Amino acid sequence: MTSEATVSTPAEGQDSLTAIPVSKPRNVRKRTRNQFFAFRGTLSRSAQIITSISASLFVIALWEISTRLGWINSLFLPPPSVTVETLWTMITQKHLLWNAGISTLRVWVAFTLSVVMAVPIGIAMSSFRGVGAALEPIVDFIRYLPVPALVPLSIIWFGVGETTKIFLLWLGTFFQLVLLVADDMRRVPQEYVEIAYTVGARPFQMLKDVALRAMLPNLFDNLRITLGWCWTYLIIAEIVAADNGLGFVIWAARRYMNTSEVMAGVVTIGIIGLLTDQILRLIHKRLFRYL
Amino acid sequence: MAPEPYLQFDGITKFFGDLEVVAPTFNLTIKRNEFIVFLGPSGSGKTTLMRMVGGLETPSTGEIRLHGRPITEPDRDRGMVFQSYSSFPWLTVAENVAYGMKYRLDMTPERKKARLDHYLKLVGLSDFANSYPNKVSGGMRQRIAIARTLAAGSDVLLMDEPFGALDAQRREDLQIELRRIQQQDAKTIIFVTHDVDEAVFLADRIVVFSKRPARMLEEVDIAAALGPDRTLELRDSERFFKLRTEVLKFVRAAAGQDN
Repeated sequence: MTSEATVSTPAEGQDSLTAIPVSKPRNVRKRTRNQFFAFRGTLSRSAQIITSISASLFVIALWEISTRLGWINSLFLPPPSVTVETLWTMITQKHLLWNAGISTLRVWVAFTLSVVMAVPIGIAMSSFRGVGAALEPIVDFIRYLPVPALVPLSIIWFGVGETTKIFLLWLGTFFQLVLLVADDMRRVPQEYVEIAYTVGARPFQMLKDVALRAMLPNLFDNLRITLGWCWTYLIIAEIVAADNGLGFVIWAARRYMNTSEVMAGVVTIGIIGLLTDQILRLIHKRLFRYL
Repeated sequence: MAPEPYLQFDGITKFFGDLEVVAPTFNLTIKRNEFIVFLGPSGSGKTTLMRMVGGLETPSTGEIRLHGRPITEPDRDRGMVFQSYSSFPWLTVAENVAYGMKYRLDMTPERKKARLDHYLKLVGLSDFANSYPNKVSGGMRQRIAIARTLAAGSDVLLMDEPFGALDAQRREDLQIELRRIQQQDAKTIIFVTHDVDEAVFLADRIVVFSKRPARMLEEVDIAAALGPDRTLELRDSERFFKLRTEVLKFVRAAAGQDN
Protein backbone atom coordinates (compact mmCIF):
# COMPACT_ATOMS: atom_id res chain seq x y z
CA MET A 1 0.00 0.00 0.00
CA THR A 2 2.77 2.37 0.99
CA SER A 3 4.63 1.63 -2.20
CA GLU A 4 1.64 2.58 -4.34
CA ALA A 5 1.36 5.85 -2.48
CA THR A 6 5.03 6.60 -3.20
CA VAL A 7 4.63 5.82 -6.86
CA SER A 8 1.72 8.19 -7.22
CA THR A 9 3.40 11.20 -5.63
CA PRO A 10 5.02 12.72 -8.76
CA ALA A 11 1.75 12.46 -10.66
CA GLU A 12 -0.09 14.26 -7.90
CA GLY A 13 2.47 17.03 -8.00
CA GLN A 14 1.98 17.33 -11.72
CA ASP A 15 -1.77 17.54 -11.28
CA SER A 16 -1.60 20.47 -8.91
CA LEU A 17 0.71 22.26 -11.34
CA THR A 18 -1.44 21.81 -14.42
CA ALA A 19 -4.62 22.01 -12.34
CA ILE A 20 -6.38 19.26 -14.20
CA PRO A 21 -8.76 17.48 -11.86
CA VAL A 22 -8.13 13.75 -12.03
CA SER A 23 -9.69 11.33 -9.60
CA LYS A 24 -7.02 9.91 -7.34
CA PRO A 25 -7.58 6.14 -7.59
CA ARG A 26 -7.49 6.14 -11.39
CA ASN A 27 -4.33 8.16 -11.30
CA VAL A 28 -2.60 5.70 -8.98
CA ARG A 29 -3.44 2.78 -11.23
CA LYS A 30 -2.16 4.57 -14.26
CA ARG A 31 1.20 5.39 -12.67
CA THR A 32 1.67 1.82 -11.48
CA ARG A 33 1.05 0.41 -14.92
CA ASN A 34 3.47 2.90 -16.43
CA GLN A 35 6.21 1.83 -14.04
CA PHE A 36 5.51 -1.81 -14.77
CA PHE A 37 6.32 -1.60 -18.46
CA ALA A 38 8.43 1.55 -18.52
CA PHE A 39 11.84 0.96 -20.07
CA ARG A 40 14.24 0.71 -17.11
CA GLY A 41 11.39 1.76 -14.84
CA THR A 42 11.51 0.96 -11.14
CA LEU A 43 9.24 -1.31 -9.13
CA SER A 44 8.95 -1.44 -5.38
CA ARG A 45 10.50 -4.48 -3.75
CA SER A 46 7.17 -5.93 -2.69
CA ALA A 47 5.73 -5.41 -6.17
CA GLN A 48 8.71 -7.25 -7.65
CA ILE A 49 8.35 -10.18 -5.26
CA ILE A 50 4.63 -10.43 -5.93
CA THR A 51 5.25 -10.35 -9.69
CA SER A 52 7.93 -13.05 -9.46
CA ILE A 53 5.76 -15.35 -7.36
CA SER A 54 2.65 -14.81 -9.49
CA ALA A 55 4.54 -15.57 -12.70
CA SER A 56 5.97 -18.77 -11.20
CA LEU A 57 2.56 -19.83 -9.90
CA PHE A 58 1.04 -19.15 -13.31
CA VAL A 59 3.56 -21.45 -15.04
CA ILE A 60 2.99 -24.17 -12.46
CA ALA A 61 -0.79 -23.84 -12.77
CA LEU A 62 -0.64 -23.98 -16.57
CA TRP A 63 1.54 -27.07 -16.32
CA GLU A 64 -0.88 -28.76 -13.90
CA ILE A 65 -3.97 -27.90 -15.94
CA SER A 66 -2.52 -28.95 -19.27
CA THR A 67 -1.74 -32.42 -17.96
CA ARG A 68 -5.01 -32.74 -16.03
CA LEU A 69 -7.05 -31.83 -19.09
CA GLY A 70 -5.06 -34.30 -21.14
CA TRP A 71 -3.45 -31.71 -23.48
CA ILE A 72 -0.19 -33.38 -22.64
CA ASN A 73 0.23 -37.05 -21.85
CA SER A 74 1.16 -37.14 -18.16
CA LEU A 75 3.40 -40.12 -18.88
CA PHE A 76 5.71 -37.69 -20.67
CA LEU A 77 5.16 -34.70 -18.47
CA PRO A 78 3.90 -35.54 -14.98
CA PRO A 79 1.94 -32.68 -13.41
CA PRO A 80 3.49 -30.67 -10.56
CA SER A 81 1.29 -32.36 -7.95
CA VAL A 82 2.64 -35.78 -8.93
CA THR A 83 6.18 -34.44 -9.14
CA VAL A 84 5.98 -33.05 -5.61
CA GLU A 85 4.52 -36.33 -4.36
CA THR A 86 7.33 -38.29 -6.01
CA LEU A 87 9.84 -35.82 -4.62
CA TRP A 88 8.60 -36.57 -1.12
CA THR A 89 8.70 -40.35 -1.65
CA MET A 90 12.23 -40.05 -3.02
CA ILE A 91 13.34 -38.01 -0.04
CA THR A 92 11.86 -40.39 2.50
CA GLN A 93 12.55 -43.70 0.78
CA LYS A 94 15.19 -43.30 -1.90
CA HIS A 95 17.89 -41.13 -0.32
CA LEU A 96 17.27 -38.20 -2.66
CA LEU A 97 18.82 -35.72 -0.24
CA TRP A 98 21.89 -37.90 0.13
CA ASN A 99 22.31 -37.98 -3.66
CA ALA A 100 21.70 -34.24 -3.86
CA GLY A 101 24.35 -33.77 -1.18
CA ILE A 102 26.88 -35.83 -3.13
CA SER A 103 26.21 -33.82 -6.28
CA THR A 104 26.49 -30.51 -4.42
CA LEU A 105 29.75 -31.65 -2.86
CA ARG A 106 31.17 -32.58 -6.27
CA VAL A 107 30.16 -29.23 -7.68
CA TRP A 108 31.77 -27.33 -4.83
CA VAL A 109 35.00 -29.34 -4.80
CA ALA A 110 35.48 -28.88 -8.55
CA PHE A 111 34.37 -25.26 -8.44
CA THR A 112 36.75 -24.44 -5.59
CA LEU A 113 39.56 -26.10 -7.49
CA SER A 114 38.73 -24.01 -10.56
CA VAL A 115 38.57 -20.78 -8.59
CA VAL A 116 41.79 -21.40 -6.69
CA MET A 117 43.59 -21.93 -10.00
CA ALA A 118 41.74 -19.46 -12.22
CA VAL A 119 41.95 -16.37 -10.00
CA PRO A 120 45.75 -16.12 -9.71
CA ILE A 121 46.34 -17.29 -13.29
CA GLY A 122 43.70 -14.92 -14.66
CA ILE A 123 45.18 -12.00 -12.74
CA ALA A 124 48.66 -12.88 -13.99
CA MET A 125 47.38 -13.14 -17.58
CA SER A 126 45.99 -9.62 -17.59
CA SER A 127 48.73 -8.07 -15.46
CA PHE A 128 51.76 -9.41 -17.32
CA ARG A 129 51.67 -9.23 -21.10
CA GLY A 130 54.08 -12.17 -21.34
CA VAL A 131 51.88 -14.52 -19.34
CA GLY A 132 48.84 -13.36 -21.28
CA ALA A 133 50.50 -13.88 -24.66
CA ALA A 134 51.67 -17.35 -23.62
CA LEU A 135 48.40 -18.63 -22.17
CA GLU A 136 45.63 -16.95 -24.17
CA PRO A 137 45.83 -19.17 -27.30
CA ILE A 138 45.98 -22.33 -25.18
CA VAL A 139 43.07 -21.29 -22.98
CA ASP A 140 41.02 -20.18 -25.97
CA PHE A 141 41.58 -23.48 -27.75
CA ILE A 142 40.53 -25.62 -24.81
CA ARG A 143 37.66 -23.30 -23.94
CA TYR A 144 35.93 -24.13 -27.22
CA LEU A 145 36.19 -27.89 -26.78
CA PRO A 146 32.79 -29.24 -25.73
CA VAL A 147 33.17 -31.05 -22.41
CA PRO A 148 31.14 -34.13 -23.53
CA ALA A 149 33.69 -34.67 -26.29
CA LEU A 150 36.33 -35.19 -23.64
CA VAL A 151 34.34 -37.69 -21.56
CA PRO A 152 35.79 -40.80 -23.28
CA LEU A 153 39.33 -39.54 -22.85
CA SER A 154 38.85 -38.65 -19.21
CA ILE A 155 37.39 -42.10 -18.49
CA ILE A 156 40.42 -43.67 -20.14
CA TRP A 157 42.69 -41.46 -18.07
CA PHE A 158 40.99 -41.53 -14.69
CA GLY A 159 38.54 -44.48 -14.77
CA VAL A 160 35.01 -43.94 -13.55
CA GLY A 161 35.82 -42.73 -10.03
CA GLU A 162 35.48 -39.30 -8.50
CA THR A 163 38.55 -37.98 -10.31
CA THR A 164 36.81 -38.15 -13.68
CA LYS A 165 33.82 -36.18 -12.45
CA ILE A 166 35.91 -33.51 -10.76
CA PHE A 167 38.11 -33.33 -13.86
CA LEU A 168 35.16 -32.82 -16.20
CA LEU A 169 33.66 -30.09 -14.02
CA TRP A 170 37.00 -28.40 -13.69
CA LEU A 171 37.51 -28.63 -17.44
CA GLY A 172 34.15 -26.98 -18.08
CA THR A 173 34.68 -24.08 -15.72
CA PHE A 174 38.38 -23.36 -15.29
CA PHE A 175 39.07 -22.24 -18.84
CA GLN A 176 36.00 -20.02 -18.94
CA LEU A 177 36.67 -18.57 -15.55
CA VAL A 178 40.32 -17.77 -16.17
CA LEU A 179 39.36 -15.47 -19.05
CA LEU A 180 36.59 -13.83 -17.03
CA VAL A 181 39.03 -13.17 -14.18
CA ALA A 182 41.56 -11.72 -16.62
CA ASP A 183 38.84 -9.46 -17.97
CA ASP A 184 37.77 -8.32 -14.50
CA MET A 185 41.35 -7.35 -13.74
CA ARG A 186 41.70 -5.57 -17.07
CA ARG A 187 38.64 -3.46 -16.27
CA VAL A 188 40.16 -2.06 -13.05
CA PRO A 189 40.56 1.65 -13.90
CA GLN A 190 44.16 2.63 -14.58
CA GLU A 191 43.56 5.65 -12.31
CA TYR A 192 43.21 3.37 -9.26
CA VAL A 193 46.53 1.72 -10.04
CA GLU A 194 48.20 5.09 -10.49
CA ILE A 195 46.73 6.49 -7.26
CA ALA A 196 48.32 3.54 -5.42
CA TYR A 197 51.71 4.08 -7.03
CA THR A 198 51.72 7.83 -6.42
CA VAL A 199 51.16 7.35 -2.68
CA GLY A 200 54.12 5.00 -2.56
CA ALA A 201 52.62 1.50 -2.95
CA ARG A 202 54.88 -1.31 -4.14
CA PRO A 203 53.41 -3.47 -6.96
CA PHE A 204 52.32 -6.23 -4.57
CA GLN A 205 50.66 -3.69 -2.26
CA MET A 206 48.89 -2.11 -5.23
CA LEU A 207 47.61 -5.53 -6.28
CA LYS A 208 46.43 -6.51 -2.81
CA ASP A 209 44.98 -3.21 -1.57
CA VAL A 210 43.62 -1.73 -4.78
CA ALA A 211 43.37 -3.94 -7.87
CA LEU A 212 41.91 -6.95 -6.04
CA ARG A 213 39.48 -4.82 -4.09
CA ALA A 214 38.40 -2.99 -7.23
CA MET A 215 37.72 -6.19 -9.20
CA LEU A 216 36.03 -8.05 -6.35
CA PRO A 217 32.36 -7.19 -7.10
CA ASN A 218 32.68 -8.26 -10.75
CA LEU A 219 34.69 -11.31 -9.79
CA PHE A 220 32.03 -12.37 -7.32
CA ASP A 221 29.35 -12.06 -10.01
CA ASN A 222 31.37 -14.12 -12.46
CA LEU A 223 31.94 -16.82 -9.85
CA ARG A 224 28.22 -16.96 -9.21
CA ILE A 225 27.51 -17.44 -12.90
CA THR A 226 30.25 -20.02 -13.37
CA LEU A 227 28.96 -22.03 -10.42
CA GLY A 228 25.72 -22.45 -12.39
CA TRP A 229 27.60 -23.94 -15.35
CA CYS A 230 29.16 -26.47 -13.00
CA TRP A 231 25.77 -28.13 -12.62
CA THR A 232 25.46 -28.68 -16.36
CA TYR A 233 28.75 -30.53 -16.49
CA LEU A 234 27.96 -32.39 -13.29
CA ILE A 235 24.88 -34.01 -14.80
CA ILE A 236 26.86 -35.02 -17.87
CA ALA A 237 29.56 -36.50 -15.67
CA GLU A 238 27.10 -38.33 -13.44
CA ILE A 239 25.12 -39.72 -16.35
CA VAL A 240 28.18 -41.28 -17.93
CA ALA A 241 30.11 -42.44 -14.94
CA ALA A 242 28.44 -42.61 -11.54
CA ASP A 243 26.37 -44.79 -9.27
CA ASN A 244 25.14 -41.94 -7.13
CA GLY A 245 24.31 -38.25 -7.38
CA LEU A 246 21.38 -36.45 -9.00
CA GLY A 247 22.55 -37.13 -12.54
CA PHE A 248 22.63 -40.84 -11.77
CA VAL A 249 19.15 -40.68 -10.18
CA ILE A 250 17.69 -38.98 -13.25
CA TRP A 251 19.36 -41.35 -15.69
CA ALA A 252 18.35 -44.42 -13.69
CA ALA A 253 14.70 -43.30 -13.58
CA ARG A 254 14.73 -42.79 -17.36
CA ARG A 255 15.52 -46.45 -17.86
CA TYR A 256 12.12 -47.39 -16.43
CA MET A 257 10.27 -44.49 -18.09
CA ASN A 258 9.71 -43.18 -14.59
CA THR A 259 9.18 -39.62 -15.75
CA SER A 260 7.93 -38.33 -12.41
CA GLU A 261 11.26 -39.33 -10.81
CA VAL A 262 13.16 -37.72 -13.69
CA MET A 263 11.10 -34.59 -13.15
CA ALA A 264 11.67 -34.70 -9.39
CA GLY A 265 15.44 -34.92 -9.95
CA VAL A 266 15.36 -32.01 -12.37
CA VAL A 267 13.27 -29.94 -9.98
CA THR A 268 15.74 -30.69 -7.17
CA ILE A 269 18.57 -29.27 -9.26
CA GLY A 270 16.45 -26.22 -10.02
CA ILE A 271 15.73 -25.64 -6.34
CA ILE A 272 19.39 -26.02 -5.34
CA GLY A 273 20.35 -23.58 -8.10
CA LEU A 274 17.72 -21.06 -7.11
CA LEU A 275 18.68 -21.19 -3.43
CA THR A 276 22.43 -20.95 -4.10
CA ASP A 277 21.93 -18.03 -6.42
CA GLN A 278 19.70 -16.14 -3.99
CA ILE A 279 22.13 -16.71 -1.11
CA LEU A 280 25.08 -15.53 -3.21
CA ARG A 281 23.14 -12.45 -4.33
CA LEU A 282 22.41 -11.65 -0.71
CA ILE A 283 26.10 -12.01 0.20
CA HIS A 284 27.00 -9.78 -2.76
CA LYS A 285 24.63 -7.12 -1.49
CA ARG A 286 26.06 -7.32 2.03
CA LEU A 287 29.70 -7.33 0.92
CA PHE A 288 29.41 -4.50 -1.58
CA ARG A 289 27.13 -2.06 0.19
CA TYR A 290 29.19 0.78 -1.24
CA LEU A 291 28.10 0.12 -4.82
CA MET B 1 76.96 27.77 -6.97
CA ALA B 2 73.55 28.73 -8.31
CA PRO B 3 70.64 27.06 -6.53
CA GLU B 4 69.29 23.97 -8.31
CA PRO B 5 65.90 24.70 -9.95
CA TYR B 6 63.04 22.96 -8.12
CA LEU B 7 61.29 21.17 -10.98
CA GLN B 8 62.82 21.17 -14.41
CA PHE B 9 61.72 19.81 -17.80
CA ASP B 10 64.95 19.43 -19.76
CA GLY B 11 64.87 18.67 -23.49
CA ILE B 12 61.70 16.59 -23.42
CA THR B 13 60.18 14.87 -26.45
CA LYS B 14 57.62 12.09 -26.48
CA PHE B 15 56.51 9.63 -29.13
CA PHE B 16 53.87 6.94 -28.80
CA GLY B 17 55.11 4.75 -31.61
CA ASP B 18 55.06 7.04 -34.67
CA LEU B 19 52.77 9.54 -33.01
CA GLU B 20 54.58 12.66 -31.90
CA VAL B 21 52.97 13.84 -28.68
CA VAL B 22 55.48 16.39 -27.43
CA ALA B 23 57.38 18.35 -30.07
CA PRO B 24 61.16 18.67 -29.69
CA THR B 25 62.05 20.01 -27.33
CA PHE B 26 60.06 21.03 -24.28
CA ASN B 27 61.92 22.97 -21.58
CA LEU B 28 60.39 24.52 -18.49
CA THR B 29 61.58 25.42 -15.03
CA ILE B 30 59.11 25.57 -12.17
CA LYS B 31 59.79 27.29 -8.87
CA ARG B 32 58.90 25.83 -5.49
CA ASN B 33 55.35 26.73 -4.40
CA GLU B 34 54.45 27.86 -7.88
CA PHE B 35 50.99 27.21 -9.33
CA ILE B 36 51.50 26.32 -12.98
CA VAL B 37 48.57 25.83 -15.34
CA PHE B 38 48.99 23.89 -18.58
CA LEU B 39 46.37 25.38 -20.88
CA GLY B 40 45.61 24.11 -24.35
CA PRO B 41 43.29 22.16 -26.62
CA SER B 42 42.14 18.70 -25.52
CA GLY B 43 44.46 15.90 -26.58
CA SER B 44 47.36 18.29 -27.04
CA GLY B 45 49.89 16.30 -25.00
CA LYS B 46 49.83 18.51 -21.90
CA THR B 47 48.48 15.66 -19.82
CA THR B 48 51.32 13.48 -21.04
CA LEU B 49 53.84 16.07 -19.88
CA MET B 50 52.20 16.20 -16.47
CA ARG B 51 52.12 12.41 -16.21
CA MET B 52 55.85 12.37 -16.86
CA VAL B 53 56.30 14.42 -13.70
CA GLY B 54 54.24 11.80 -11.91
CA GLY B 55 56.57 9.12 -13.22
CA LEU B 56 53.63 7.47 -15.03
CA GLU B 57 55.14 8.11 -18.47
CA THR B 58 58.76 8.17 -19.57
CA PRO B 59 60.03 10.88 -21.91
CA SER B 60 61.41 9.63 -25.25
CA THR B 61 64.33 12.01 -24.84
CA GLY B 62 65.45 14.39 -22.10
CA GLU B 63 64.65 14.18 -18.43
CA ILE B 64 62.59 15.81 -15.73
CA ARG B 65 64.39 16.62 -12.49
CA LEU B 66 62.92 17.31 -9.08
CA HIS B 67 65.44 18.76 -6.59
CA GLY B 68 68.04 17.96 -9.26
CA ARG B 69 67.17 14.23 -9.18
CA PRO B 70 65.83 12.67 -12.41
CA ILE B 71 62.28 11.33 -12.13
CA THR B 72 62.12 7.66 -13.07
CA GLU B 73 59.06 6.26 -11.28
CA PRO B 74 56.01 7.33 -9.30
CA ASP B 75 56.46 8.17 -5.64
CA ARG B 76 54.52 9.96 -2.93
CA ASP B 77 56.39 13.26 -3.27
CA ARG B 78 54.30 13.75 -6.43
CA GLY B 79 50.57 13.17 -5.97
CA MET B 80 47.95 12.85 -8.69
CA VAL B 81 44.35 14.03 -8.75
CA PHE B 82 42.38 12.64 -11.69
CA GLN B 83 39.18 13.89 -13.25
CA SER B 84 37.37 10.58 -12.77
CA TYR B 85 37.92 7.51 -10.60
CA SER B 86 39.65 9.87 -8.19
CA SER B 87 38.65 7.97 -5.03
CA PHE B 88 38.16 4.30 -4.16
CA PRO B 89 34.45 3.42 -3.90
CA TRP B 90 35.04 0.62 -1.37
CA LEU B 91 36.63 2.93 1.20
CA THR B 92 34.85 5.58 3.27
CA VAL B 93 35.80 9.23 2.83
CA ALA B 94 38.14 9.04 5.85
CA GLU B 95 39.65 5.74 4.72
CA ASN B 96 40.25 7.22 1.27
CA VAL B 97 42.12 10.15 2.73
CA ALA B 98 44.03 7.88 5.13
CA TYR B 99 45.02 5.70 2.17
CA GLY B 100 47.48 8.45 1.24
CA MET B 101 49.49 7.54 4.37
CA LYS B 102 48.99 3.77 4.24
CA TYR B 103 52.54 3.01 3.14
CA ARG B 104 54.26 5.57 5.35
CA LEU B 105 56.15 3.56 7.93
CA ASP B 106 57.77 6.71 9.29
CA MET B 107 54.53 7.92 10.92
CA THR B 108 52.99 6.62 14.12
CA PRO B 109 49.27 5.74 14.05
CA GLU B 110 48.60 8.76 16.31
CA ARG B 111 50.33 11.07 13.88
CA LYS B 112 48.41 9.57 10.97
CA LYS B 113 45.16 10.09 12.84
CA ALA B 114 46.04 13.70 13.58
CA ARG B 115 46.95 14.34 9.94
CA LEU B 116 43.78 12.63 8.76
CA ASP B 117 41.64 14.90 10.96
CA HIS B 118 43.61 17.94 9.85
CA TYR B 119 43.19 17.32 6.13
CA LEU B 120 39.56 16.22 6.40
CA LYS B 121 38.88 19.53 8.10
CA LEU B 122 41.00 21.48 5.61
CA VAL B 123 38.89 20.29 2.67
CA GLY B 124 35.65 20.46 4.67
CA LEU B 125 34.83 16.76 4.75
CA SER B 126 34.88 16.08 8.51
CA ASP B 127 31.11 15.64 8.59
CA PHE B 128 31.24 13.04 5.82
CA ALA B 129 34.16 11.02 7.21
CA ASN B 130 32.19 7.78 7.40
CA SER B 131 30.22 8.11 4.17
CA TYR B 132 31.10 6.15 1.07
CA PRO B 133 32.08 8.17 -2.02
CA ASN B 134 28.90 7.20 -3.88
CA LYS B 135 26.92 9.03 -1.20
CA VAL B 136 28.71 12.37 -1.61
CA SER B 137 28.74 14.89 -4.47
CA GLY B 138 31.25 15.02 -7.31
CA GLY B 139 32.86 18.08 -5.76
CA MET B 140 33.36 16.25 -2.49
CA ARG B 141 34.92 13.31 -4.32
CA GLN B 142 37.47 15.68 -5.83
CA ARG B 143 38.16 17.08 -2.37
CA ILE B 144 38.74 13.53 -1.11
CA ALA B 145 41.42 13.15 -3.76
CA ILE B 146 43.03 16.47 -2.87
CA ALA B 147 43.05 15.62 0.84
CA ARG B 148 44.51 12.16 0.14
CA THR B 149 47.32 13.67 -1.90
CA LEU B 150 48.06 16.25 0.78
CA ALA B 151 47.93 13.62 3.53
CA ALA B 152 50.41 11.51 1.57
CA GLY B 153 52.82 14.39 2.03
CA SER B 154 53.18 15.17 -1.67
CA ASP B 155 55.04 18.40 -2.31
CA VAL B 156 53.97 18.45 -5.92
CA LEU B 157 50.30 18.11 -6.86
CA LEU B 158 49.53 16.99 -10.39
CA MET B 159 45.94 17.73 -11.31
CA ASP B 160 44.42 16.59 -14.59
CA GLU B 161 41.24 18.63 -15.18
CA PRO B 162 40.14 17.77 -11.65
CA PHE B 163 37.09 20.03 -11.75
CA GLY B 164 36.06 19.15 -15.30
CA ALA B 165 32.90 17.28 -14.36
CA LEU B 166 31.58 19.78 -11.80
CA ASP B 167 28.90 22.41 -12.11
CA ALA B 168 29.97 26.04 -12.24
CA GLN B 169 29.24 26.90 -8.62
CA ARG B 170 31.10 23.94 -7.08
CA ARG B 171 33.91 24.52 -9.47
CA GLU B 172 34.35 28.09 -8.28
CA ASP B 173 34.22 27.03 -4.62
CA LEU B 174 36.86 24.39 -5.17
CA GLN B 175 39.08 26.74 -7.14
CA ILE B 176 39.13 29.20 -4.26
CA GLU B 177 39.72 26.37 -1.81
CA LEU B 178 42.53 24.86 -3.85
CA ARG B 179 44.28 28.18 -4.18
CA ARG B 180 43.96 28.74 -0.42
CA ILE B 181 45.37 25.27 0.37
CA GLN B 182 48.23 25.80 -2.06
CA GLN B 183 49.17 29.07 -0.36
CA GLN B 184 48.70 27.73 3.16
CA ASP B 185 50.54 24.43 2.74
CA ALA B 186 53.09 25.79 0.26
CA LYS B 187 52.52 23.23 -2.48
CA THR B 188 53.78 23.23 -6.02
CA ILE B 189 50.94 22.49 -8.42
CA ILE B 190 50.77 21.58 -12.09
CA PHE B 191 47.16 21.91 -13.18
CA VAL B 192 45.94 20.83 -16.60
CA THR B 193 42.82 22.45 -18.04
CA HIS B 194 41.30 23.80 -21.24
CA ASP B 195 39.20 26.36 -19.36
CA VAL B 196 40.71 29.84 -19.77
CA ASP B 197 38.78 31.34 -16.88
CA GLU B 198 39.93 28.63 -14.51
CA ALA B 199 43.51 28.95 -15.72
CA VAL B 200 43.71 32.69 -15.13
CA PHE B 201 42.01 32.49 -11.76
CA LEU B 202 44.27 29.75 -10.38
CA ALA B 203 47.67 30.22 -11.96
CA ASP B 204 50.82 31.97 -10.97
CA ARG B 205 51.96 31.21 -14.47
CA ILE B 206 50.11 29.82 -17.49
CA VAL B 207 51.79 27.77 -20.17
CA VAL B 208 49.72 27.88 -23.37
CA PHE B 209 50.10 24.80 -25.54
CA SER B 210 49.62 24.22 -29.25
CA LYS B 211 47.63 21.38 -30.73
CA ARG B 212 49.42 18.04 -30.74
CA PRO B 213 52.37 17.65 -30.84
CA ALA B 214 52.54 19.81 -27.73
CA ARG B 215 54.67 22.91 -28.08
CA MET B 216 54.83 25.84 -25.69
CA LEU B 217 53.28 28.83 -27.47
CA GLU B 218 53.15 31.38 -24.70
CA GLU B 219 54.03 31.84 -21.07
CA VAL B 220 51.82 34.27 -19.18
CA ASP B 221 52.92 35.57 -15.80
CA ILE B 222 49.64 35.85 -13.90
CA ALA B 223 51.16 36.30 -10.45
CA ALA B 224 52.77 39.58 -11.56
CA ALA B 225 49.39 40.90 -12.67
CA LEU B 226 47.02 39.50 -10.06
CA GLY B 227 49.16 38.82 -6.97
CA PRO B 228 48.88 35.77 -4.72
CA ASP B 229 45.34 36.19 -3.31
CA ARG B 230 42.45 35.06 -5.47
CA THR B 231 38.98 36.07 -4.38
CA LEU B 232 35.51 36.30 -5.87
CA GLU B 233 35.87 40.09 -6.13
CA LEU B 234 39.02 39.64 -8.18
CA ARG B 235 37.11 37.40 -10.53
CA ASP B 236 34.66 40.21 -11.30
CA SER B 237 37.36 42.86 -11.64
CA GLU B 238 38.47 44.70 -14.76
CA ARG B 239 42.06 43.46 -14.27
CA PHE B 240 40.94 39.83 -14.31
CA PHE B 241 38.74 40.36 -17.33
CA LYS B 242 41.50 42.01 -19.37
CA LEU B 243 43.99 39.28 -18.54
CA ARG B 244 41.45 36.63 -19.41
CA THR B 245 40.82 38.23 -22.81
CA GLU B 246 44.54 38.34 -23.47
CA VAL B 247 45.03 34.67 -22.63
CA LEU B 248 41.95 33.75 -24.63
CA LYS B 249 43.59 35.35 -27.68
CA PHE B 250 46.60 33.06 -27.28
CA VAL B 251 44.33 30.04 -26.92
CA ARG B 252 42.38 30.98 -30.03
CA ALA B 253 45.63 31.32 -31.91
CA ALA B 254 46.68 27.89 -30.64
CA ALA B 255 43.42 26.34 -31.78
CA GLY B 256 43.52 28.06 -35.16
CA GLN B 257 47.09 27.23 -36.13
CA ASP B 258 47.61 24.50 -38.69
CA ASN B 259 50.45 22.37 -37.44
